[in-house]
Amino acid sequence: MKPPPFAYVTAESIEHAVAELARSDGEGKLVAGGQSLMPMLNFRLLEPSVLIDIGKIPDLTGISETGDGLSIGALTRHVDLETSHLIAQRFPVLTEAVKHVAHIAIRNRGTFGGSLCHADPAAELPMMAVLLDARICVSGQGGNRQIPADKFFLGALTTDLEEEEIVTRIDLPYLPESTGWGFEEISRRSGDFALAAAAATVSLVDGKISEVRLAVTGVDDLPLRIRAAEDALRGSELDDAVFSSASQIVRDAVNPNSDVHASADYRRHLIGVLVGRVLRSARSRARGGA
Amino acid sequence: MSKSSDGGIDLTRPKIIGAPVQRLEDPRLLTGHGKFTDDVKLRGTLHVALRRSDHAHARIGTIDTAEAEEMPGVVGVFTAELLDALTRPVFATSKMKDYHATPVRALAGGKVRFAGEPVVAVVAQSRYLAEDALAGIEIDYTPLEPVVDPEEAAADNAVKLHDHLPGNVLVARRFGVGDVEQAMGDAPIKVGGRFRFHRKTPTALEARSYLADYDQGTRALTLYASTQVPGIVRDALVEVLDMPGSKLRVIAGDVGGGFGGKASLNPEEILVCALSRHLGRPVKWTADRVEDLISTSQSFDEIVDAELAVDQDGTFLALKADILGDVGAFSIYPWTAALEPMQVAGFLPGPYRVPNFSANVRAVATNKAPMGPYRGVGRPISAFVLERLVDMAAKKLAMDPKEIRLRNFVKEEEFPHRTGSGIVWDRSGFTECLERAADAINYPALRKRQAEARADGRWLGIGIASYAELTGIGSRLSAAPGMPINTGTESATISVDSSGAVTAHFGIASHGQGLETTLAQIVAEEMGVRLEDVEIVQGDTSAVAHSTGTYASRSAVIAGGAGTLTARTLRGKIIEAASHLLDVDMADIDFADSLISARGTNKTMSLRELARAVYSQMGSLPGDIRAKVDLQASEFYDPHFGTTTSATHLAAVEIDPETYEVSIEKFVVVEDCGRVINPMIVDGQVHGGVAQGIGAALFEEVVHDVTGQNISATLVDYVIPSAAEVPSMEVHHLDVEAPSTLGGYRGMGEGGTIGAPAAIANALNDALSHLGVEIMELPMTPERLFQVISAAQDGEAESS
Ligand SMILES: Cc1cc2nc3c(=O)[nH]c(=O)nc-3n(C[C@H](O)[C@H](O)[C@H](O)COP(=O)(O)OP(=O)(O)OC[C@H]3O[C@@H](n4cnc5c(N)ncnc54)[C@H](O)[C@@H]3O)c2cc1C
Repeated sequence: MKPPPFAYVTAESIEHAVAELARSDGEGKLVAGGQSLMPMLNFRLLEPSVLIDIGKIPDLTGISETGDGLSIGALTRHVDLETSHLIAQRFPVLTEAVKHVAHIAIRNRGTFGGSLCHADPAAELPMMAVLLDARICVSGQGGNRQIPADKFFLGALTTDLEEEEIVTRIDLPYLPESTGWGFEEISRRSGDFALAAAAATVSLVDGKISEVRLAVTGVDDLPLRIRAAEDALRGSELDDAVFSSASQIVRDAVNPNSDVHASADYRRHLIGVLVGRVLRSARSRARGGA
Repeated sequence: MSKSSDGGIDLTRPKIIGAPVQRLEDPRLLTGHGKFTDDVKLRGTLHVALRRSDHAHARIGTIDTAEAEEMPGVVGVFTAELLDALTRPVFATSKMKDYHATPVRALAGGKVRFAGEPVVAVVAQSRYLAEDALAGIEIDYTPLEPVVDPEEAAADNAVKLHDHLPGNVLVARRFGVGDVEQAMGDAPIKVGGRFRFHRKTPTALEARSYLADYDQGTRALTLYASTQVPGIVRDALVEVLDMPGSKLRVIAGDVGGGFGGKASLNPEEILVCALSRHLGRPVKWTADRVEDLISTSQSFDEIVDAELAVDQDGTFLALKADILGDVGAFSIYPWTAALEPMQVAGFLPGPYRVPNFSANVRAVATNKAPMGPYRGVGRPISAFVLERLVDMAAKKLAMDPKEIRLRNFVKEEEFPHRTGSGIVWDRSGFTECLERAADAINYPALRKRQAEARADGRWLGIGIASYAELTGIGSRLSAAPGMPINTGTESATISVDSSGAVTAHFGIASHGQGLETTLAQIVAEEMGVRLEDVEIVQGDTSAVAHSTGTYASRSAVIAGGAGTLTARTLRGKIIEAASHLLDVDMADIDFADSLISARGTNKTMSLRELARAVYSQMGSLPGDIRAKVDLQASEFYDPHFGTTTSATHLAAVEIDPETYEVSIEKFVVVEDCGRVINPMIVDGQVHGGVAQGIGAALFEEVVHDVTGQNISATLVDYVIPSAAEVPSMEVHHLDVEAPSTLGGYRGMGEGGTIGAPAAIANALNDALSHLGVEIMELPMTPERLFQVISAAQDGEAESS
């Protein structure tokens, strides 16, 4: 289990990384925390000609407030998301979700950008990106662009990123005041990828749902927002009957696969349960509960 | 409460045996100074990468290695053609009737019989370069029909794995006592069904690793091996390589776990030795995690159809079982394919009186990695089957599971008791373990809490598992049926060198159990020296003339016995020498804490002074005495039959009624391992064993697809419980009666893994009792729970 031979370059800047990617003619790979890439190299699932290490690029780090949201550097480690006060204040659902990403050692190295670009269909952070309407900031030879999260993920391990593009920042627009949230995950063991996970945010006006977002992972080729369920919930009273119909909509919408851990049927069953649970916790938080 | 039958110990001395002393090996291991096989770096070492079969069953055609041979750093590319010429095949033979051996070879020739079997070895300057060259090998396979399902494999018309054998059934045996059919026929209550325990793999933290070093000058070969059985490997290599044992040394340095996966002779051990001798260079191979998961011996793979008949009052009348063990592609050396399925049958009657018993056992070859020993060997399956049957019977009789067990345990006055399978139990705390476990968990209160939780819609379950096992097996019994290897004796050699230092040599091989500490405790106490003054040498075939290793819960009992006898002999010599040197009667010599003194005087002497007098000061002792008091002794110990170890595990679990996640709320173990040498180490062994039992109950399963591919070949897919999934547990030790073993020790290294799966299975079943389901399969993964529960709920919906 040794990687195939590869060349190694330390990128000094975003431009340098992009130039090296272009020079490698599609054969190069960026490496950030290495927590997904290195196992793939060791299994020889990938044989890149060159690894371009972006770990030292200063512009890719830091969590800062913009006028209408937070801007998070692509190199932000999972552990820094987990312990950031700004994130805990503004996006407590993200603080909770990131605790479910792998184990401490991996969270110390793995990066937000790396997780999004790797696009594992059972990963938590891609689900957070779609839940929180993240805008993914990308630099390439043609300049910069922003990709909305729900256009970024195309399938299992597949994103909209071009071969010579690099993710630089992830922008998260603030949620309305008095938004409640919920996050639930089932995995075989603590730290494992999700068999199924769901997250919701619920904003209330006059006791009715004004805005609701519902995202799931582990139950399809990519993390999904379940718009049909959101539509059914929006404007409704917050009663359990609506929640169960939302669960049913989600169960019908997803397309889970079967593997050694769980059948599609079990995953579908689970996601319905979890959707109910995240909606109930979001409701109670929106009403001012803990 | 301990009745000691062992008069050899001076009660006035401070006790080292029984004290929770810190493990002597830990400072080294915890500071990263352990030396595992892969840490051994020899100049000029070559590295092996293996091209393993990607077919479960295929004929090997031409193998084209030309491209690989030209690749950077490659020294040679080898196939069975060369290896067969360099080695002699070895067979796990047995005196058992109806047993068929299969060869153990370094590389597959002619045919591959499981996906993962080594076929081609690349030897290169580094492991990286060796792995690069694997891509340059072309193997022309003709696929054969894979034999995956054990029942189909056992059929008369099945495709055969081994062309020279009559079929795939490698062992078939039937045994029992009484008239089961009659007793079954007459019995008022019968419970039973088909039980399935799925394949597991030991997954030691340190994967297997071997480094062979052939010295062209001395024509001697040293194998550094991550093994539990250096002695067995050495003796096998003598035959395989046709070299005298004096030229062959196997050293198991620090070993990072084994659990049975390192207790057999492996193809790669033969391979590196043959190649090192052939190339005249050190040759190393270390398994990566995938290789470990696909090629290390696996186990716990049985289908058991079993039935228990009981009387109206809960008394067991008869037990019968049909056991089919899926033993994989080869009969493993030296244990044979009979090892696990036969043990399932042998231990099936458990700690109970079962007047009529019969078992029909078959071991069937399939296209999977070979089955070998795994912590608990067979007993986790017997305990699972029997303890489920016992609970099923209790439920039918509306009896408490605790009561039905108490009613049927072999009673104090009935020991020694011969079970229907021929095993003889000596007195052990069968009843006491259950009573104490029930007290520890406060069983009545727990049942009450359970009833309340049930009323709240919570699925709380309580499970009991009691078992007994044979440990420290002596030479009159065979660790595996009919095996021509004696595993019943161990020897020790202890010397005081010219500096006064004490070194004790053993043939066993600690691989995490802390035997360096427990054996030092025994030697220190029996000799009269301080713990820190004893150096233990183990895991090295040059240490003693004959040894096998560490497995089958034997080392503390048998090596401990050898250490006891040897330490006593040497103590006698020291006292005799001291009596001359200090000029007092032997009876007046005290020897404790490494200090020799003449009672009633102020004359004292250190071991160093004594050694100097004996070895260097020629006039100090008369010649006839000097000849008698050489400061060295060697004794061996044979417990003849071994002894009984027993325990009860009690688990309380909760199942989430929506997601079917399982949490283990409480876990109590009460076990009788006789005299405890080091309670901290015993606790550690129980904790680790229970963790593995939890793995077997809820998580771990080697999964093959229909083509025989292992689809759980990473630690993402082969799910071992982590610290978060293992609850804190309560362990109590009973010391009911000293067994006849020297020192009063019973073996205890495997027990945790035996009781936990059964206790958890019963607890899950109890938690689901309102659904009327029966847990008949392990591991009970969330997916299986989902299937079982959905089926029951669908059934309910239909009938309502
Ligand atoms: C044992 C284990 C358990 C894990 N469990 C979980 C889990 O439960 N949940 C979970 O979500 N994850 C889990 N992970 C994965 C972990 O979260 C990874 O850290 C993350 O998926 C990848 O981040 P990274 O920085 O390590 O990326 P890398 O491994 O360095 O890169 C991953 C991919 O992203 C590309 N890439 C990285 N950064 C950029 C960028 N800025 N722009 C463009 N492309 C980029 C790389 O080229 C590569 O293709 C686990 C990993 C391990 C080893």
